[in-house]
Amino acid sequence: MKLVMKFGGTSVGSGVNIRHVAGLVTKYAKENNKIAVVVSALAGVTNSLIETSFRAQKSDEKYIQTFTKTLLAKHTDAIKEAITSEIIQKEVIEITEKNIAELEKILIGICYIGELTPKSKDYVMSFGERLSAPIVWGAIKDHSTQTQWFTGKDAGIVTDSNFGDADPLMNYTTHLVRERLEPLLERNIIPVVTGFIAANQDGIVTTVGRGGSDYTSTILGVALQADEVWIWTDVDGIMTTDPKIVPTAKMLSQLSYKEATEMAIFGAKAMHPRALGPVSKANVPVRIRNTNNPENSGTLITKEPQADAKEVTKAVAMLKDVAMLNVYGAAMVGAPGSYAKVFDVLGKNGINVMMISAAASEANISMIIKRDLLGRAISNLEIALQEHGGIISEVTAEDDVAVIATIGANMKGALGVASKIFSAVAKKGINIRMIAQGSSELNISFVVKEKDGTAVVQTIHEEFNLGKQ
Amino acid sequence: MRIILVGYGVVGKGVTTILAQKYAEKVKDYGFNPKIVAIADIDGAVINPRGLSPEKLEAIKQKGYPISADPEFGNPGINALEVIESVEAEVVVEVTPVNIQTAEPAISHITKAFKTGKHVVTTNKGPLALAMPALTELAEYNNVYLRFSGTVGGGTPMLEFAKRCLAGDRIKAIRGIFNGTTNYILTEMSQNQVGFQDALASAQKLGYAEREPSMDIDGFDTACKVVILSNWIMGKKITLKDVDRTGIRDITLQTLTEAAKRGNTIKLIGSIDDNKPTVKPTEIAKTHPLCVSGVLNAVTFSTEYAGEQTLVGRGAGSIETAGAVLRDLLDIKHKLANRMLNSNSESYK
Repeated sequence: MKLVMKFGGTSVGSGVNIRHVAGLVTKYAKENNKIAVVVSALAGVTNSLIETSFRAQKSDEKYIQTFTKTLLAKHTDAIKEAITSEIIQKEVIEITEKNIAELEKILIGICYIGELTPKSKDYVMSFGERLSAPIVWGAIKDHSTQTQWFTGKDAGIVTDSNFGDADPLMNYTTHLVRERLEPLLERNIIPVVTGFIAANQDGIVTTVGRGGSDYTSTILGVALQADEVWIWTDVDGIMTTDPKIVPTAKMLSQLSYKEATEMAIFGAKAMHPRALGPVSKANVPVRIRNTNNPENSGTLITKEPQADAKEVTKAVAMLKDVAMLNVYGAAMVGAPGSYAKVFDVLGKNGINVMMISAAASEANISMIIKRDLLGRAISNLEIALQEHGGIISEVTAEDDVAVIATIGANMKGALGVASKIFSAVAKKGINIRMIAQGSSELNISFVVKEKDGTAVVQTIHEEFNLGKQ
Repeated sequence: MRIILVGYGVVGKGVTTILAQKYAEKVKDYGFNPKIVAIADIDGAVINPRGLSPEKLEAIKQKGYPISADPEFGNPGINALEVIESVEAEVVVEVTPVNIQTAEPAISHITKAFKTGKHVVTTNKGPLALAMPALTELAEYNNVYLRFSGTVGGGTPMLEFAKRCLAGDRIKAIRGIFNGTTNYILTEMSQNQVGFQDALASAQKLGYAEREPSMDIDGFDTACKVVILSNWIMGKKITLKDVDRTGIRDITLQTLTEAAKRGNTIKLIGSIDDNKPTVKPTEIAKTHPLCVSGVLNAVTFSTEYAGEQTLVGRGAGSIETAGAVLRDLLDIKHKLANRMLNSNSESYK
C-alpha cells in the first residue's frame, strides 16, 4: 500500500516516543508499504514559538536568548534519546543548531523592528516542524532504513499568500510533489515532511493554519494518490462519545467524511474539517490510529458510511464553553431581511454563529455562539438594532448551556429518532432549551443547561445502545 | 453598550447613579442598555465583564474608597491604562480630575482608548483645552467618536444646541457666562454690596468654589470652555494658550457700583468671534438676556439667519454633568447603529 502517515505532537513528544514512531514506520516499510511521513512539532513547541514572537515584538531580547537555549536543550535531549548512532546524532544536532541559530536571528530582527507581521510570524512558527522533522528522519535512519527529510516547501506544497491560514494550490502542489517525492517512494526511500508549513509561489514560508499537520498529510495523500492517510494520535480512534463521560463508549470502526466533519466540530479528537477537504474530494480514505496501540486498526473515514451498518445514531457529543443568545422582536415578523440584519451585525463584529433555531412565528431567533464572545454580541446587537423603530425589542442570553449533538448518516429518513432522543431526555426531567436539525439529517443538535450535559450524553448513549457491539 | 468608567469622584458617582437607573429602566425607546464593565480609580479597579449590577454599583458607592477592595470584582493595583487596554468595551467614560498643566493622566487614558478602538466620553476639560485639535484628529483616524458635552454648560446642552439646532446657519459669534462660581461671586458683590474676598469666602462655604480657587476666578475654567467651543462649533484649531484671559480678582465694589449707575453690571464673559478669543470681565446691560445671576450659565450665539439665540441653564453639578454623559452615550449609540447597519465592508472588531 502507498501510505501517508502523520504523527502529531504527542506522538513525537519525546525522544522515546520518536524512537517508537521510527520503529513503527520501519515495520510498515518492511511489510512492503511505500510510506511518506508527516510530522508535527514536538508537543508545546509551536505555542512557545508564538509566545516568544510576541515577546520579541515587545523587544524582550533577554527572553529570546533564554528561550533558544531551552529550545536547543529540549531538542538535543530528544535527539540523544531517539537516536543511538553517534554519527547520526551528530548530524542531526548540527542541523538543529543551525536552525536554532537562524531562528534566533529572526527573533532578534523582530525585536529590533518591534513588528510582527503575519509573514514573519509564519516564518517563526515554521521552526517547530523544521526542528522535529530532522529528529524523526535521524531516528528512522538509525533503524537502517533509507530516508530523506523535507520542509513542506521543499516537498512541493505551494499555497496562496494568506499567511497564517494558507490554502494549497492543489494542482500545482500535486505536480511538484509527484516530481519530488514519487521517485523516492519508488526507490523505497521514506520522505519525512514537516507538517503545517508550506510556501507561496515565491517561496516565502506560509503555514496552513487550522487543521495544521493533518491538513499537510491529506494534501500529500491526494498529491501522491495514496491508498490511505493514517493519522497517528494518542487515542484508538473516533469514539461513540467521550469515554470520560461514558466509560462504555466504544470505538467506531468506520465513518463517512460527512459524519467525521460533524464529529470534528465537537472535538471528538478527530480532525479539523478543513483537513478532510482534499481527501473527501479525491476520495482518499483516512484512518485514525493510536501510536500506543498499533494492533488496533482504528477508525476508517471513507466516502460512504459503512454499507452494512444498521445503527441509526452513531455518536453523541457535547460542546461546552458556549452561550445561547436569544433575540426577540415582533418587528421581525414578516419583515424580509430582518434575520440578515442580525447576522450582519454579528459578522461585522467577528462573531461566528454555531447553531441557529428560529420559530416559524419569526418573532425570535436563538443562536449558539462561543461563550467568551457573548458580551460583545449582546452589546452590539443592542446598539445596532434595538431602539424605537428598530427590529429587535430584547436580547437575552444564557451562558450556562452546552450543545449536545447526535450524529449518524443513517438517521436520514429514519422515523422516530428525534422522539426517541427527546423522550429519553424528558424522562430524566431535563429541559431542552433549543433544537436544530439540518435537512441533511446527519445531526440533531440541542441545547441543555451545562450542568445536565453529562447526564444527557449518558442517557442518549444508553438509549441507542451505542456501547454495545 | 459596555462602558469603562475611569475616575470615581463626584462626577463618576453621578454617572454610576444615572446609568444604574437607565439600566434598570432599559430605556426601551432608545434601546439603550448601558453596562458598566469596569470602574478604574487611582488605587485599582472593579471589573466584571458581564456588567456591574445596579445593586453592586450602589454597594460600591456605600463602601467608599478604595473601590478596588470589592471582594467579588476588585482588582487592587491595576492601573487605568491596563484596564482600558484589557477589558472589552465599546466606550470609555473619562471623568478624572482636571489638570490644565499637563492634562494627565486623562490625555493618556483617552489616547489609549482610541488606540484600542474604544469611543470616549469625557467631562474633563484639561485634555481638550491643551490638545483638542490633536485629539479630534486622532479619534477620526482611529474611527472612534470623542464626545464631551459635559465640559461646557454642564447640564445645559450648549454644544448640541449649536451643532444641531443651528445646523446650516452661520454662527458669527459666541459670548457667554461659562463659570458658575465667578458668576455667583460677582452677583453677591453687586446685589449684597460685599467685597471680593467676602464673596469668595461665601462661595467656598457653599461649596461653589474650591479652596484653591484660581481655576475659576483667574478665568482658566472659562478659557477652557472657550477653547472647546472655538474648536467644535467654529472650527478653529486653538488651545488654551491662544486665549486672552483676565480673571475677576481685580473687580472692586466701586467698579460694580459705577456700572450699576449706567444700568449695567460686570460679568466674566468668554467671547469668540473673528478676533482672538477672550475671557475678561465685561460690562453688560442688566436687561441683556446673558445677564443671569447666581451660579447660572448662559450663552448667546449670534447667527446669520436666526439672529441671537440665548440659552440659560445650570452649569456644573455632578448629576447635571452625568446627565451630559448620558446624552453623549446615546449619541454614540445612534451613530454606531447607523454605521453598523449601513456599511457593507467595514469590520469593527
